[in-house]
Parts: sequence; structure tokens; C-alpha cells
Amino acid sequence: MALDLKEMFSDFKNGLWAENPIIRLVIGMCPTLAVTNTTENGLAMGLATSFVLISSEIVISLIKKLIPANVRIPSYILIIATFVTFVDYFLKAFYPGIAESLSIFVPLIVVNCLILGRQEAFASQHSTPRAIADGVGMGLGFTWVLVLLGAIREFFGMGSIFGLTLLGEWYRPMVIMVLPAGAFITLGILVGIMNYISREGK
Amino acid sequence: MEEFTQILLLFISTVLINNFILVRFLGICPFLGVSKQVETAFSMGLATTFVMTLTAAATWLINTFILEALNLPFLQYVSFIIVIASLVQFVEMFIKKTSPVLYKALGIFLPLITTNCAILGLALLIPLNGYSFIASVVFGFGAGVGFTLAIVLMAGLREKLEFGDVPGVLKGVPVTLIIAGIMAMAFMGFSGLISM
Amino acid sequence: MEKNSKKAMIITLATIGIISALLLSFVYEWTTPYIQANQAQKQKQAINEVLPGVVEVKKVEKNGNIFYEGYDANGNRVGVAFTSTGGGYNGVIEVMIGVNLEQNQIYKISILNHQETPGLGARITGKEFKSNFNNQPFGNYNVVKTPPSKEMQVQAIAGATISSESVTEIIESGLDKVTSAYGGGN
Repeated sequence: MALDLKEMFSDFKNGLWAENPIIRLVIGMCPTLAVTNTTENGLAMGLATSFVLISSEIVISLIKKLIPANVRIPSYILIIATFVTFVDYFLKAFYPGIAESLSIFVPLIVVNCLILGRQEAFASQHSTPRAIADGVGMGLGFTWVLVLLGAIREFFGMGSIFGLTLLGEWYRPMVIMVLPAGAFITLGILVGIMNYISREGK
Repeated sequence: MEEFTQILLLFISTVLINNFILVRFLGICPFLGVSKQVETAFSMGLATTFVMTLTAAATWLINTFILEALNLPFLQYVSFIIVIASLVQFVEMFIKKTSPVLYKALGIFLPLITTNCAILGLALLIPLNGYSFIASVVFGFGAGVGFTLAIVLMAGLREKLEFGDVPGVLKGVPVTLIIAGIMAMAFMGFSGLISM
Repeated sequence: MEKNSKKAMIITLATIGIISALLLSFVYEWTTPYIQANQAQKQKQAINEVLPGVVEVKKVEKNGNIFYEGYDANGNRVGVAFTSTGGGYNGVIEVMIGVNLEQNQIYKISILNHQETPGLGARITGKEFKSNFNNQPFGNYNVVKTPPSKEMQVQAIAGATISSESVTEIIESGLDKVTSAYGGGN
């Protein structure tokens, strides 16, 4: 099986912008809103999700021929849940602080529509190398939006980014930004801006 | 009596104060996807409430009598998701056989519910909060009612919004998110209602 | 054909399930020591935070509750630390309390676990709020909204009165626990 690098690159690029899971496909919204109160949480969530996405895409693209079509979805969910449990225990053991602040949103990666969606739409129909390219692209596309959202909310809500205080004592943090309401509004405006940018590009 | 008050408070706080969608961010996908019309939103809410109540009972039993009894905490996520998927399947078959009318109303929403993170979130929150069996069921039912309330309110607003003059780039998802933000702010007003 | 595919379905799901359970049991075995060490570390840090100048900690059980007695370099008991839990605004809050039983006073408190709202209720973990309880005598506290002017007053976090009250109640019930276990209260 020859590796088509050009094809792989376009699979990879796809997730970054054209089919970005959050801003274009609008999936995986729960973690996007819930854990982006700080930049660090956004990054951690993005990486954890990417890991599960890439690992499941690898396994599923490898065994796709062995799975009968009518138990496809349950099989995928089982595989995803296994990887998620792994990530959860790994974080609890080695990054307890992060595990605590993400709390139940680590296990909820199981039902992130992004992951199941990519298995169904991509991994089950393409070769393993292309599935990896897709997983990395989608994972990065998911992560950068989470980091950006986390940075905006942390900057306005606490005057800092990655925990580093950027604004001095004079700044009165807009607490609303780290609360649920701020999450919805920031993401709404962000998606609006992205729509504007991609419309201008055409 | 004391216990009854506790349960009632738990119900109210689950519906209003810790609303699954607007405060806990669980179940955002259907909240954005199935909130265009009040009628469909209500059916979705009904189906979700039904599955949530059953899930709360089933996962409490499994967690207490199987996972904790046999010390298998690492199978929690895998077994919960299997329980939810089979439960949804079972409910679908049951409704199909017993009530074609109800099936027509709820049928298309049921498969969507498996990947609704509000359901798995509910299952995970129960052991975390250490609820009793009855409290779990009330928690599940309250979560469903809160979900229905939020999604129906949103659908009502979106129906009106059809006639509003929304800037092109904000149409659809962005404006829905911004409205959700304002709703979340309004729901914050409930926070002083009860101190647990 | 129908029968075969059903068999294939069951075999596939069972195989995936068994492999997954096996792998996860290894992961569980591997990570459990680390997770337990993290929790022990966290508890130890909290004990050192709430009891000043302690070099040795002894774990004792009284009335079914666990207490950590802290001793200084000369072997004198400095105080007792213990955890107390209760409901907060979003979920369970667990507080570590360090007390001086000779003077019926709190040394300090530390928040072990909570699920309060970031930016609001989560500020119960901040120094500003925790220091409300430093050197307070045992008893019932009043949660006030202005800076405390006398003993037994606790200043609530702005916008998070419920979280502040919850912590105060958790501490009060914890103090009852320790005084009944050690027969204090005088």
C-alpha cells in the first residue's frame, strides 16, 4: 500500500479549518464550553480528546473489516470508552491537578460526537495512514479552538493567560467570562467572527 | 418528612439552579440541534427525560451491586455507556410495539440520545455525589425536566427569531449560543433560591 | 445466514469487551499506586498546612472518625487535624481543619475537594477566605458581607454567599465531631 502524502496532507489540513469540528461542524460542544475557563484546561482537554481520537481511528481503521456492519456503532463506542478510561487513569496518576479541574469531562469524551463521528465518517472507510492524518488534523483543529477560547475567557475573566497574570491590580476581572454565560457568549461571537472571515475569503 | 423535603429540594435545584444545559454544559448538542421548533424540542425533552430517569436507576444499581461490590471501578465508563446504549435500544423497541403514536413522536430522537452527553454525565454524577437510589431517580428525572425546560424555552425564542433581523454572519449557531448565554445569566438568578 | 451474522455480532462484541476489560485492568493496576500516592501527598500537605510546626503525624480513630494528631520535635501534641465534608453549591466540599484542643481554637483550614463555580465559589480555596477561620475560637460563626469586626465573624466571598456558608457549616459540624471525640468543649 503506497502512501499518498498529498492525500494525507489534505486529510490533515481539512480538520484545521475547512471542516473544523467546533467552528464549522459545531460538534463536541459540551467540553468546548465547560472546560475552557482557563487556557490550561482548554489545552489539556484538546490533547486528551486528540489522543482518544487518534488511537481509536488507528484501531478502527485496522480492524474495520472484522466488524459486522450491524454492531459497528456499539463496537466503536466500546473501543472509544476503553481509550477514555486509559486517559482518565493516566491523568489521575500523573497530572492530578488537571484531572481534578476537568473532572467528569474526561469520561465524557466517550460521547463527544466528534470522536464517534470521525470513526463512522472516516476511519471505517479509509486506510490507517490516512486515518492517522485525519485524526491528527481533527484533533489539532479541536485543540486550537479550545486553547483560543480558554485564552480569551481567562484573559478577560481573570486577567491572565496560562496562569500568568498579564493585567495588573487595576484590572477588575469580568467574572462573567469564566461563568457559563460567558462561555456561551464568547463561543457565539467567535463562531460569528470565523463565519465572517471565511466569507470574506471567498 | 425531613427526607421528603431533601428530595424536593434536590429536584428543584437540579431543574433550576444546576440546570444540566445552562450551568453544567451537558447536552449542548441536542440543545443547539433540535431547538428550532417548540413541538420537536418538547418531544426531544420528553424522550430524554424518560431515558434519563431509567438511566439513573439502572446505573445506580449497576454501580452499587456490580462495580463497587466486585471492585471494578475501571469498568465504570465502559459499562455505563453499554447500559445507556442498550436502554435506549430497549425503550425504542418497547415504544414501537406498545404505542405507535408515541413512537412516531419520539422515534427519531431516541438514537440521538445515546450520544447525548447529558445522559452519561448524569450516570457519572450519581456516584460522584453519593446519592441514594431514590435521590438518584429524582436527580435523573429533575435533570430531564431541566433539560426539557431549557430546550423548549430556546425553541420558543428561536421561533420568534425567525422574524428578527439577525446579521448574516451570526445566523444559526452563533446567535443561538449568544441567546443561551443570556439565558444562563437569567438562570443564575435562581442560585440564591435554596442553600443545600 | 441470519444465524451466522447474529453469532458474528455476539463474538465481535464479546471479543472487544474482553480485550478492553483486560487492558483496563492492567492500566488500573499500573496507575493505582500513583493515584493513591497523590491522594496521600495531598492529605499530608493539607495536614502540614493546617497544623503549624508539626514533625510527626499519628493517625487515630475515635467514634468511627479518623483524626490526625500532630506532634512537634519535642513530642508535644500541637493539635489535631481532621476532615469534614458537606454539601456546597455545586457538590460535595471536603475541608481539612486543624485545631488546638488546649485552647479550643482553630489553627487553620484547607479545602481538599470541591466542585464550586470557578471564579466565584471556587475562591473558597483562596487565602483571603480561608484566613477568616485562622485562630477562631470554637462555636457558631456568623457569615457577614463586610470585613469582620469581631470574633466569630466570617466574611463571605462576594457573589458566593452559599459556598461561604456551606464551608462555615461544614467547619461547625467538624468542630462538634472533634469536641465530642476528645471530650473537650469545657
